[in-house]
Amino acid sequence: MNFRIVPDAWNRFFFAPQSPTPVALFRILYGVVVIATLILLRPDWLAWYGPHSWVTLSTMQKMEPGMRLNLFAVIPQTNVAIETLFWIFLASAILLTIGLLTRVNTIVVFLCLASIDQRNLHILNGGDTFLRVAGFFLIFAPAGAAFSLDHLIRVRRGRESSEIPLSSPWAQRMIQIEMALLYFVSFCWKIQGASWIHGTALYYVYHLDEIQRFPLPQWLLTPAILKLGTWSALVMEFSLGVLVWIKKLRYKILLLGLIFHLYLEYSLNVPMFQWDVLSAYVLFIDPGDLDRVWCWMRDRVAVHRLKRQDATE
Amino acid sequence: MPINNSLIHFVKESVRPYLVWSGLFQSWDMFSPDPKSVNSYLEAVVIYSDGTSQLWSFPRMELLGAKDRYFKERYRKYEENLQNNDYADLWPDAARYIARLNSDSTHRVQKVLLVVRWSDIIPRGDNSYDRGPWDVNVFYTYTVKPEDLQ
Repeated sequence: MNFRIVPDAWNRFFFAPQSPTPVALFRILYGVVVIATLILLRPDWLAWYGPHSWVTLSTMQKMEPGMRLNLFAVIPQTNVAIETLFWIFLASAILLTIGLLTRVNTIVVFLCLASIDQRNLHILNGGDTFLRVAGFFLIFAPAGAAFSLDHLIRVRRGRESSEIPLSSPWAQRMIQIEMALLYFVSFCWKIQGASWIHGTALYYVYHLDEIQRFPLPQWLLTPAILKLGTWSALVMEFSLGVLVWIKKLRYKILLLGLIFHLYLEYSLNVPMFQWDVLSAYVLFIDPGDLDRVWCWMRDRVAVHRLKRQDATE
Repeated sequence: MPINNSLIHFVKESVRPYLVWSGLFQSWDMFSPDPKSVNSYLEAVVIYSDGTSQLWSFPRMELLGAKDRYFKERYRKYEENLQNNDYADLWPDAARYIARLNSDSTHRVQKVLLVVRWSDIIPRGDNSYDRGPWDVNVFYTYTVKPEDLQ
């Protein structure tokens, strides 16, 4: 028996150099969902985080004592200071999305995300948790190595070739593991519940007034279909947590996951959760496939430009 | 993870302070182990110093338009926590916030009562759904101090 198999596989998985295009694309999608989260919160920045908010800083500290990474604990508790923090956060998220000063902005975005979450833990959903944890690992990823102004500037200044250099994917792997963990732990919790095992869970979910978004056709709400949906949700969560690691099944499972989340986005009102999680699907795409799609798109644009040039001449 | 043995417990408790500090804490238990089987919403009875009163309602997702539902969803989560007795420390802040929202220089709020209304989701024998009768409970009363309104 070869005792090197496990350490070799470990090293290949976490450290074998690969193209950073998936994590660079994830950086863009991640930036967009962070910006969207901030815009959705905008009317209530002070209502949730201000000095006279629904939950004051002192109440939060009393309920959740101990040391926490929370900028609100160190900035002055005034409307101006708190709004300034949010504007800095928004500016940093925009810079992260376009890939300017990428590393610095991954740190600023993570610090701000962790702070707003710690400042008011009572309004969070799973999407916020995912963004926060993924944001931490994004700090260590080569997120600005492609599709970024940083890369463009480095190429223009002759510091880098236009070829995107390969790099160690360990931080990307951590975000992938986080995403798989999200599904697998959800699955483990759900199978503890009688309603998930008996197939009645979705029956209750789709009769909670507060969480409905757009109406569904009546046939989808019949007990038999809801039962099937309940068990399908369990299968989906298990597949996205475990089977997604099997290369042969990966794209099929991701496609089913995409349909699953779009269905939830249409029918249930949990803003941003589906998009937050879907943004990480891109990390499971093989860099070779992503590069092929990128080349194909570049070629199409070039051909289109040539055709337009010919037409004007 | 829903695993409870002494080793897991020891590991969890050992790493917890670091995860909490760094913001890497997480839990993934939406709609589990079982989803809620009750519809509920919150209101507040606002009593003014001149003896008059009014009913103030928290944003109710089912009564909002699609756009507002997107923007105001945080209230749904907050209200879910607010009606949980484990989070009773949230109640005074909420009462003060409602007092400020409903006060002006001529009309001063004296008391705020937090009210929950709920109705069970009842599965019938023929597999159809039934809505139980609405119950009501005043779960917190707060007497407003002058400094609360500043």
